[in-house]
Amino acid sequence: MTRAAVQPIEAEALVRCFDEIRAVDGIDIVVDKGEIFGFLGPNGAGKSTAVRVLTTLLKPTSGTARVAGYDVESQADKVREVIGVALQDAAIDPLMTGKELLRLQATLHGIPRRLAARRAKDLLERVGLTEAAPRLVGQYSGGMRRRLDLALALMNEPDVLFLDEPTTGLDPMSRRNLWEEVRRLNREYGTTVFLTTQYLEEADQLANRIAIIDHGKIVREGDPAALKKSVGSPTLRVDVADEQQAIAEQTLQAFGEERPSRVGRVSIGLEGGAERMADVVRALDEAGIVIEHMELDSPSLDDVFADATGRRLEGAADAEEPAE
Amino acid sequence: MSVDDSLETSAEHVHTATPPLLVQTAALSTRAIRGFFRQPQLWIPGIVFPLLLAAVNSSSLSRASLIPGFPPDTSYLQFLVVSVIVQGVMFGAIASGNELTTDIQNGFFERLLSAPVSRPAILFGRIAGGWVFAAFQALLFVGILWPFGGTVRGGIPGVAVLVVMAVFLATAIGGLAAGLGARTGEPEAVQGFFPLVFIFLFMSSAFFPTALMSGWYGTIAENNPLTWMIDGARYQVIVGFDLTEAAKALGISGVLALLGLWFATTQVRRRWRVAA
Ligand SMILES: Nc1ncnc2c1ncn2[C@@H]1O[C@H](COP(=O)(O)OP(=O)(O)O)[C@@H](O)[C@H]1O
Ligand SMILES: [Mg+2]
Repeated sequence: MTRAAVQPIEAEALVRCFDEIRAVDGIDIVVDKGEIFGFLGPNGAGKSTAVRVLTTLLKPTSGTARVAGYDVESQADKVREVIGVALQDAAIDPLMTGKELLRLQATLHGIPRRLAARRAKDLLERVGLTEAAPRLVGQYSGGMRRRLDLALALMNEPDVLFLDEPTTGLDPMSRRNLWEEVRRLNREYGTTVFLTTQYLEEADQLANRIAIIDHGKIVREGDPAALKKSVGSPTLRVDVADEQQAIAEQTLQAFGEERPSRVGRVSIGLEGGAERMADVVRALDEAGIVIEHMELDSPSLDDVFADATGRRLEGAADAEEPAE
Repeated sequence: MSVDDSLETSAEHVHTATPPLLVQTAALSTRAIRGFFRQPQLWIPGIVFPLLLAAVNSSSLSRASLIPGFPPDTSYLQFLVVSVIVQGVMFGAIASGNELTTDIQNGFFERLLSAPVSRPAILFGRIAGGWVFAAFQALLFVGILWPFGGTVRGGIPGVAVLVVMAVFLATAIGGLAAGLGARTGEPEAVQGFFPLVFIFLFMSSAFFPTALMSGWYGTIAENNPLTWMIDGARYQVIVGFDLTEAAKALGISGVLALLGLWFATTQVRRRWRVAA
């Protein structure tokens, strides 16, 4: 088998159960070399479980998965040699310094001392932790921990890098920095990245290809642009008083299919797009509806998610995740 | 980054081989020792409490050495040397073994599992970390008690017996703590279990000769393996170096060490099987 020919990640009918819960429920994935593959889904969708199966931390209940051509079950040792892993909660020993952790990681991977020192220096520079390196990790901020976690995952120059919710709980600035680093890594070194997230923007910005996962199943897959296009028409959102919602819904039915929304807001897929806005306003006016707010949005990944699941992802992540 | 170690050339990227068990264990125990000494709340009790107890006991109970049944020609402090070591090692080894639980809790254990680390190294790294502290404790206690009358009559071979016993005992207790940690995943649960171990210690000849005990208490103490171990080690202090007595001390602590290792291994295996 020539390594160059194998896919970085291949999974077939992969299932992982915890007692009754089917956390990962029959997923098929093929990730191509050099891709940033985004796994997008809400809390509890099965993202982390999938990552843990692919990184040999959990055995599949059924189905198979290969990483860099190695079977995650029967060749787990091989898999571990060629992957880099940053798990969801940046599991870093707070009592070590950044430098010590990098050295430990290098030793565990059998990287010769001098090469390890060079890589450590290089990685610290890249993630902007050169100055913080001699300090105990316990004193690092959330963003610094994630960056160190990334550096640790890169110490063995992995063929496939797994990032499980790398920016959850980070402030927007740190989030953008991390995105930039992942992009650069992918661009300059061609590292294949498997990334999970519950942030639409993150998937949209970073991933070349996305799989939307919900209740352990992949419900949509493709590149972000194609996915958005597949939802079709742009979303029209009209905010009205609660007592006018029913009549607003009725009026707007004529312009396109209703989309999931919240109370006090009517959303439809506006057929024909922006050109029909004048007609919409006229119809609402004739029905005596007072428009409190109105917006027209090209389809977003949230629309794709809503189309596939009947629920919204937007805002759900921030509501559930306490800020760090 | 230069081209030679860039990932662009990684189609035939040569990955470094997984280093041998010993190298990984050494790296992990170095880390364990560092982390342990960076937490004074973990190691200070294992040094201060036993010494405090020795100080209090030897001033209030020094007349005990006049009681019939107490080893003749012995200062109570000499009698206490082994007690202090055993007690200190118990404190230290619980804390250091329990660090595995902390690793499990904060996710570092999983980081190790996702790297090409040989599985035994993860456990041995922890336990070997405890050895260093135990040996250090034994030497420190001997050094502190000696000038105050806690002379070790067995000299260097006698002290060596005490140090090796301390290391074995640290393996036993550290293994027990690590095993319980692997089972529960909660450091507090492990801490909560350990008063039982100290009860075991109090039901032994650690603080009084069994000859001075009566009734069921004496019976338990006489049949407590810790008593045999302690008596064997104590012989090196109050009489002199003796191979048979040394064998008793090291044999029993050695068996306890194996039991601790066995328990920890099965529990850690179980954890990553449940996980895996
Ligand atoms: N170790 C476990 N034991 C039992 N249930 C688990 C375990 N890990 C995850 N689950 C369950 O599996 C489902 C998927 O979880 P997870 O993969 O963590 O989702 P995500 O990472 O997408 O938030 C959830 O219902 C979760 O409660
Ligand atoms: Mg998760």
